[in-house]
Amino acid sequence: MKRFFSIPLVRGLVWFVVGLLAGAAIVTGIRAVMGLELFGTRGFTEPAWVFGGFVATLSFLAGHGVMSDWFKVWRGEEVSEHHEDPEGWLKYLGPSLDHKVIGIQYTITALLLLVVGGVFALIFRTELAFEGMQFLSMDQYNTLMSLHGMVMIVSILLGIAGLMNYLVPLLIGAQDMAFPRLNAFSYWIAVPAAILLLMSMPLGGVETGWTGYPPLSASLNKLGQQMFFLGVFVAGWSSILGGLNLIVTVVRMRAKGMVAFRMPIFAWASIATSLISLTATQLIGLSFQLVMFQRLFGMGFFDPAKGGNPVLFQHLFWFYSHPAVYVFILPGLGIISELLPVFARKPLFGYRWIAMSSLGIALVGFLVWAHHMFTSGMNEYLRVPFMYSTLLVAVPTGVKFFSWVGTIWRGKLQTSTPMLFVLGGIVVFLMGGLSGPPNATVSTDLHLHDTYWIVGHFHDTMFGGFVFPFFAALYFWFPKATGRRMNEKLGQLHFWLMTPSFFVLTLGMMRIGLLGMRRRIADYDPALGFEMSHIVLTIAAFLIALSVLIFLINLVQSIRNGEVATGNVWNSRSPEWQVPSPMPAHNYDQPFEVVGEPYDYGLAGSKYVEFIASAKSKH
Amino acid sequence: MTHTQDKSAAFGLGVVIFIYLAVLTALEFFVAVTFEAISILVVIALVKAALVMYYYMHIYQLNAENEGDENSYAFKTGTNRFGLWLFLLSDAFVFGGLLVMRFNLLAMTRPHLNQTLGLIVTAVLLISSFFMNRGETAMAHGDRKGFLRNTAITFVLGFIFLIGVVFVEWRLAAEEGLVASFGNTSVGPQGAVFYMMTGMHAFHVFTGLIFLALVWNNARKGSFSAERHWGVEAATIYWHFVDLVWIFFYPALYLIGKLS
Amino acid sequence: MRHFVIVGILVIVTAILTYVGLDSVGLLPVEASAQAVSIDWLWNWQVVAISFLFSLIVVPMAYSLVVFRRRKGDTTDAEHIEGNTTLEIAWTVVPLIIVVIFAYMGAYSLGEIKRVDPDAVVIKVKAQQFQWTFEYPEYGIISTELHLPVNQQVVLKMEAVDVIHSFWVPEFRIKQDVVPGRVTEYRVTPNLVGLYKVRCAELCGSGHAVMEGLVVVSEEVNYEKWLAEQQAIAAAAQTPEGQGKLLVVKNGCGGCHSITSTPLPSAPTWFGLFGSNVELADGSTVVADDAFLTESIVDPTAKEVKGFSPSTMPPYVLTEEEVANIIAYIKTLK
Repeated sequence: MKRFFSIPLVRGLVWFVVGLLAGAAIVTGIRAVMGLELFGTRGFTEPAWVFGGFVATLSFLAGHGVMSDWFKVWRGEEVSEHHEDPEGWLKYLGPSLDHKVIGIQYTITALLLLVVGGVFALIFRTELAFEGMQFLSMDQYNTLMSLHGMVMIVSILLGIAGLMNYLVPLLIGAQDMAFPRLNAFSYWIAVPAAILLLMSMPLGGVETGWTGYPPLSASLNKLGQQMFFLGVFVAGWSSILGGLNLIVTVVRMRAKGMVAFRMPIFAWASIATSLISLTATQLIGLSFQLVMFQRLFGMGFFDPAKGGNPVLFQHLFWFYSHPAVYVFILPGLGIISELLPVFARKPLFGYRWIAMSSLGIALVGFLVWAHHMFTSGMNEYLRVPFMYSTLLVAVPTGVKFFSWVGTIWRGKLQTSTPMLFVLGGIVVFLMGGLSGPPNATVSTDLHLHDTYWIVGHFHDTMFGGFVFPFFAALYFWFPKATGRRMNEKLGQLHFWLMTPSFFVLTLGMMRIGLLGMRRRIADYDPALGFEMSHIVLTIAAFLIALSVLIFLINLVQSIRNGEVATGNVWNSRSPEWQVPSPMPAHNYDQPFEVVGEPYDYGLAGSKYVEFIASAKSKH
Repeated sequence: MTHTQDKSAAFGLGVVIFIYLAVLTALEFFVAVTFEAISILVVIALVKAALVMYYYMHIYQLNAENEGDENSYAFKTGTNRFGLWLFLLSDAFVFGGLLVMRFNLLAMTRPHLNQTLGLIVTAVLLISSFFMNRGETAMAHGDRKGFLRNTAITFVLGFIFLIGVVFVEWRLAAEEGLVASFGNTSVGPQGAVFYMMTGMHAFHVFTGLIFLALVWNNARKGSFSAERHWGVEAATIYWHFVDLVWIFFYPALYLIGKLS
Repeated sequence: MRHFVIVGILVIVTAILTYVGLDSVGLLPVEASAQAVSIDWLWNWQVVAISFLFSLIVVPMAYSLVVFRRRKGDTTDAEHIEGNTTLEIAWTVVPLIIVVIFAYMGAYSLGEIKRVDPDAVVIKVKAQQFQWTFEYPEYGIISTELHLPVNQQVVLKMEAVDVIHSFWVPEFRIKQDVVPGRVTEYRVTPNLVGLYKVRCAELCGSGHAVMEGLVVVSEEVNYEKWLAEQQAIAAAAQTPEGQGKLLVVKNGCGGCHSITSTPLPSAPTWFGLFGSNVELADGSTVVADDAFLTESIVDPTAKEVKGFSPSTMPPYVLTEEEVANIIAYIKTLK
């Protein structure tokens, strides 16, 4: 029992509960002194729950031990630069500083949340299959639908953080991230964030969708809304600090000879992504914080009755939340660019253009947010300039597509599982990309906005830009992390089950959306005749879930029983494949020097990296 | 140039910059009360910000060549410095968002506030930045006593600022009818905007004070030297950043716009 | 070169097939307003562009995948082609021109939609959870149905009471949010007689899915007839229940309280309510008599009905007589 409680994660969770109660008790005590109501419908009052959740987050981190080194530094004590992890799987539950361990922690958490969010989707998808309400109330539907959105977003943020954490230091030849302790902190703060987010369900639910627009989100009958905001706010810090760490790592820690245009394309994509998450995330944090304060203190930021402006929230919110979709997809597009040359055995077509297009998308992405607000009643003169800026995003995105086609053209492709997911990702993302411009031109958007067309469109971009490349990356780098391969047959089955089902799902969504199906509705008008479509969509959704289940079984099985693969499985030029798998604890024993272009496949005798024989890495 | 001359030159520069900043603040106030020229106020704020960022926060050091290999203190300080500046960039977006909110909700009006008090707290924060600069300069030249003395003064001034805003200014504002509207529907958004902006800034001042206290305590124990004092540098940059934010918040809340 | 010619032909063929396929599926609902014409015109061009670009990317990929695929036993690398700057510039500049053209077309069709007819009929729209209410100020009519004359521009001046809603009639194509604290405008010229529905397109709470209202587009004569009927009904409604019904429409009570046999999710139904036994949250039951209904209208939290949250009911300012009239109306709902 004592050993059980010495596991950092368990200790953190215990402290979480203690912190929650302590925080709530403090506020309740203050309320007692002020003569206010002590208890609400959900036990504590709303301020008590919010403050409790906040204290719980901090006490989770303190109890877990991820901040111990900082406490020492603050007291003026020396901390060791050297950090050894315990053997075995226990290190994944503790405050490890190794970027590879943290990367895997992120990835596993992302997969867990993917399952949670997916189950939510299956539940309300089943409800939608038939007209009328069968087993959910409309309130429960709204809660599941809202949390599906936000849980998936957090899952994606953790997923990309997992990929970037694991891969970027390996790809650029660093021993670790620039700030290993901050790195561990960024991961572990996401754990209480996820708990807070899910706590909103038993505490009354969320009825606003993931966007949380006031005044609806400010109406006081839903306490869950507050936990939702708090959870997202905390998760935002994970994203901000992770992005900061990554930029510093890429800028400061590259191997000798790795000039900007010899960086792996994934490093470029990570930089572009991190620039957005570093800066724009603050705005969603701020906008949610303002709604929280509006609820707690009656401050009327977005309350028209108090001189506030509900549309202001939408501006602040979308200033993050549109660039955020580029946060989700840019790393995935980087993975596609990274893997294509390996499997086509050809250089990446137009390397510099692809690298620059990532930055282009990220920067233009800051100027397009109001295209989510064409119908919102904002100043009308803003609509046309935002239409132009939004359509402009198509240009760097197009450069990526054409360059990928250029890479595939005349390439000797072989379709093992990672490549299948890359190709699937390209086609799915293409559909997402092509269904975008109609939403960007104001007049057609007036019809398309807030319909199922939009739902289909963004699921295409999220799957093409993140889910497919994410799976590709997991299949591709699994041998690097474990020294074993994932089962190829199950991998192929996963792909061939998921892809067609997904096409049916999103194309079906787009079709009924155009015909008048609104998004976020718990039930639909029988007069529209959508029942058959919804039954098909539901079946497709279950097939996708089945394919992911196959993937998870494959993953667990292969960790123990996969075919042993310690060498350069994919015959890649990238440095991490030049050393045996699994990667040793402190990365490269010998530092390497970049001596060539990263993707010069097909050029006889060329090399990307060369290990410096005389030198020995210090760690 | 000898070591002492170098040090007194650095102190001298700190004084000159402080005088510039003080004059600009006075000019700002004068411009605001005599003619409503927002563009001039914006330019003055930008000039002040540039002075603080260059001479007090030493932003140019981001560009410095780092000697030594990846494991040297100098290299690591360079990495840390870059990280800290990125953090400040990120944080600046919060304050930028608050400014957007202020101009969206209040447009060209401003809340009823006590001008004298506003000028006093602004001056206090500015003077604290001056002493912070002296403290850091002292430490950079190995003068631990000088650092402790100047940082203690900074801490006290920062504390006065915090008291001045949260305990005096908030109370006076509430008496002027500027309430955050606890359930009161008749008031405009002035109160909400004012308390949110000053509150968020005060929270940063508060964390800055904790930071200063930790660094002061570690310096007392002798953890820092002329060569190794990243902690001091970080606390200094953070403290100046808090001042930098106020350079924009002060005109936004006190000077720009007509009284509502 | 041979490969490029084949791919070129395949791209064009696929693009045409895709376009014809999409076009024949019937992607959009019936076109029922003048504004829809310019939207559908732009939409059609977008489908053309989508079909072409989809083929332009997918066909070469598929072709390469089949024709240049790795043959059995081949372990060599492919040809070393690093890139082509001319091509890259071309596929940066050409799409740039295309998007600028589309943006121009978008602005043009937006201009068409916003074209103002000075003689437009003004109708006031009130949106609240979960009810649309329409007021014809010139005629003093308030209704939960929107009746519109065909081929005549109307401008809806819309205001929300509680949260953000969005006015959308799919057949009219356009959509406009209705925001508390401001008036938004919705300009439309219906050009096809028929029955449609306005559907709230912005999530507005638990009953969002059922926030729909009937939209009737009719010939001028029928429209006038309806207006006259409504005026007559309003004038004739001197009975308490008639007054009550008007109050219910005006205050949008029907958004949450069902007045038909189908219940709504967020509040107790009024259908057959009077005289029935109501189960309360604390487990007791109470008979829905005049006293109970009066109390519940004035202070919804006094007795909490099981399964509903009374705090969601907005405060209404009603005189004693008005409350009595509403109850008189409720009595008629059986």
